[in-house]
Amino acid sequence: MSGTKESKPRRKTSSSAARRRSTAGKGRGKPRVRREKPTAPAPEPLDEFAGASVTGRSLRRNGGVVRTVAAPRPLHIVMVGWEWPPHHSGGLGVHSFEISKELTRLGHRITFLTPFTGPFTPVEGVTFRFPGEPTTTPALQYPPAYWTGGTPDSPFVDATDGYNSWVSQVGGLGKVDVVHVHDWFGTFGARELAQRLGVPLVMTVHSTEYDRSLGHPWDHILAREQAGIDAATRVIAVSRHLRQQLIDRYHADPDKVRVIYNAVRPSQRLEKIDPTKRVVLYVGRLAAMKGVDTFLRAAARLVPKFPDVLFVVAGEGPEYSRLIHLAAALEIGDHVMFLGKVSDEERELLLQGSSVFVLPSVVEPFGIAALEAMAAGVPTIVSKTSGVAEISSGAFQVDFWDADEFASRIAELLEYPTLRAAMGEQGRWEALREGWPERARETVGVYLEAMAARGRSP
Amino acid sequence: MKIVLYLHMHQPWRLARFRFLDLGSGRSYFDTERNLGIFRGIADRCYRPALDRIQRALDSHPEFRLSLSITGTFVEQARAAAPDVLDRIRALTRTGRVALVAETYYHSLAFLLPPPELAEEVAMHRALLRSEFGADPKVLRMTELAYSDDLARFAEAEKFHGMLAEGWEGALRGNPPTYRYCATPAPTVMLLLRHYPLSDDVGFRFSSKEWSEYPLTAEKYARWLGATPGEVVGLFMDFETFGEHHSAQTGILDFLSALPDAVRREPHLDWATVEEAIVGPPHDALSVPYTMSWADQNRDLGAWLGNDLQRSAFEAAKKVGVVARQSRDPAILTDWRKLLTSDHFYYMYVSGHGADQGVHDYFSSYDSPYDAYANYMNALSDLRRRALERLGVPILK
Repeated sequence: MSGTKESKPRRKTSSSAARRRSTAGKGRGKPRVRREKPTAPAPEPLDEFAGASVTGRSLRRNGGVVRTVAAPRPLHIVMVGWEWPPHHSGGLGVHSFEISKELTRLGHRITFLTPFTGPFTPVEGVTFRFPGEPTTTPALQYPPAYWTGGTPDSPFVDATDGYNSWVSQVGGLGKVDVVHVHDWFGTFGARELAQRLGVPLVMTVHSTEYDRSLGHPWDHILAREQAGIDAATRVIAVSRHLRQQLIDRYHADPDKVRVIYNAVRPSQRLEKIDPTKRVVLYVGRLAAMKGVDTFLRAAARLVPKFPDVLFVVAGEGPEYSRLIHLAAALEIGDHVMFLGKVSDEERELLLQGSSVFVLPSVVEPFGIAALEAMAAGVPTIVSKTSGVAEISSGAFQVDFWDADEFASRIAELLEYPTLRAAMGEQGRWEALREGWPERARETVGVYLEAMAARGRSP
Repeated sequence: MKIVLYLHMHQPWRLARFRFLDLGSGRSYFDTERNLGIFRGIADRCYRPALDRIQRALDSHPEFRLSLSITGTFVEQARAAAPDVLDRIRALTRTGRVALVAETYYHSLAFLLPPPELAEEVAMHRALLRSEFGADPKVLRMTELAYSDDLARFAEAEKFHGMLAEGWEGALRGNPPTYRYCATPAPTVMLLLRHYPLSDDVGFRFSSKEWSEYPLTAEKYARWLGATPGEVVGLFMDFETFGEHHSAQTGILDFLSALPDAVRREPHLDWATVEEAIVGPPHDALSVPYTMSWADQNRDLGAWLGNDLQRSAFEAAKKVGVVARQSRDPAILTDWRKLLTSDHFYYMYVSGHGADQGVHDYFSSYDSPYDAYANYMNALSDLRRRALERLGVPILK
């Protein structure tokens, strides 16, 4: 049952694959270097990374997307940040948190500079420094009044100026390898800090003042962005589009601007899913009319033949405990996982990682979950009684009571990769060819019919 | 101008739903009852009435000629479901004015398989035509009228005097389709070409009320034939055109009955069997370096091997063929060959939209190409398992 994998928190294949796709995988045709745990520390000059650099020529060709490289030793990174969870108003805090967490997992050490006093969600290997020590600049209190639509003399700008001057003077950092600043908030300070420490400056640009201000940039912020871009040895842009903007609008040297995409992380619950298993998924309410019994009976037929398959039931409802007991009675508890209610984000991740989606409903007026699975390119099996069956020739259709047929269809999709690919593609096309705009137009058609029927001209 | 009316008679052994969970169950892949039921229905609507009309035309018109191809799977089903259909065909052949055409016994894509599969299937079919109808055909046709230089060489090696092919502009390079040709790589093999506009007027358009020429009468059609320049016009189509693809209510059977009279009234028209029409000097030599067929808008093998599902299934069948042959088990080999019948691959055709999709849907015995593929692969997997068992190879799964 759901508890069987709890002792082994592991990342889910799909999401790590998605992450690979969104970062290193973009370097098409380039050999991907395996990420390895850094070996024993051996202080070396930064030139040791020369082999990892991408030449200007190839960089232009692939739009500045970098390949993944293993560092030969742990680094000490001073991150000139802004916000940090649990408090965050936008994506920057989440980004800082996630990237820092992964960097420390790789063995690197981070000193995170922030204008705020906390509290900070702790991450092993990350030390927080904020104004108050060693200098006397006062720190900001959470939640701060930081907003971007102000005037140059607003408290917000005063605060960033104070933060910058503190950053430029911060001491007691020990040996530092690189200073990494995010967006414009701390660029002045970061520039001086890197210079003082004699280490390179890296800047990540998450968005530009041009975009945030819808074309009416504020000079004060522009200057800070420009200063960071000019001073940085390498600039990271979160998309190719942004990279081009930095080159065009900020005259950034194309050879120093790299693209690293943002990522999402699976929720803790999904991490319980063994990444070596193939997933057959049901998402929906656990009500009698949903036919989840049939799903479990089909699973029971397949478990002996497909020990590498995990049957995932995502959703909650009145049948929850009865279904768990049924799985136990069918002796497939180890092969079925009950996830309970899942968020939209979790459902997307589940779909990305699933081989087959099953909607075994006894009664199903429409069955939008199946349409969502098809849109995600997951080959789908629906009961003939579902409304969605009417519009999906790319899905297998089975009598809701026929567990053997559900089992066979699932097995066929697991067994024949060509079928999986073809049905995934067809389903995607069918699900996406028409959307809410078409449905709205059809609805207007009904309004007009209704009006005509009542003798009113539109 | 000689009219060569050639009709093709075929029924496949359609598969039963063979579930993945049926693997190893010993269950048959073929739904005999369903296939015979379909055959009986078509016999009532098409084979009996159309054969009777042809018999009467032969009786009343000594100049009338017809050519037929009859697949092995058709004969097997006819024996079980409607043996009188075979009696009727025998009666036609006894007139001496009906020629039979050779092909692969299983209506298969054997020409894409390594030898000796093609030669064996053609030999099986020749033997069947001899035993069943006392015929010794001189003309060969390939499944779905497939034709290429390689197939002409094969026909020559197998001592055939002629082959049938599609009169497709792409292959004719400016030559009219209404002449007898010889094959460039095998000059002793004469080619008769299908006049596809005139053939499709009957085969596809006859009952279409949107067609500007609707309704088509035998007189009008004979006039078109009379006005067509050339020496020989190939009207090649499915036998099922008469009563099945177009139902009797459309008047298609009356059209068939009226045609010999209408043709007789046209001064320059005459009838010929395929064997008569191949006699004489060729107009030119034709080379077709690729495989051409009579299907769909592209006239290629796309209808059977155009998508990933079809290619994957055919490649799998090819591989299973190796162990099926090695097993030397006649039941296994026969099942394998029944699975080679081109119809199975046709059912896996996926097309977005367009003129061909309707034709494919009409002929399919499945709800979707995915059903067709999954079912076929299950049967093939089971067959492979049987062959391996027979060979004493341990099965991993």
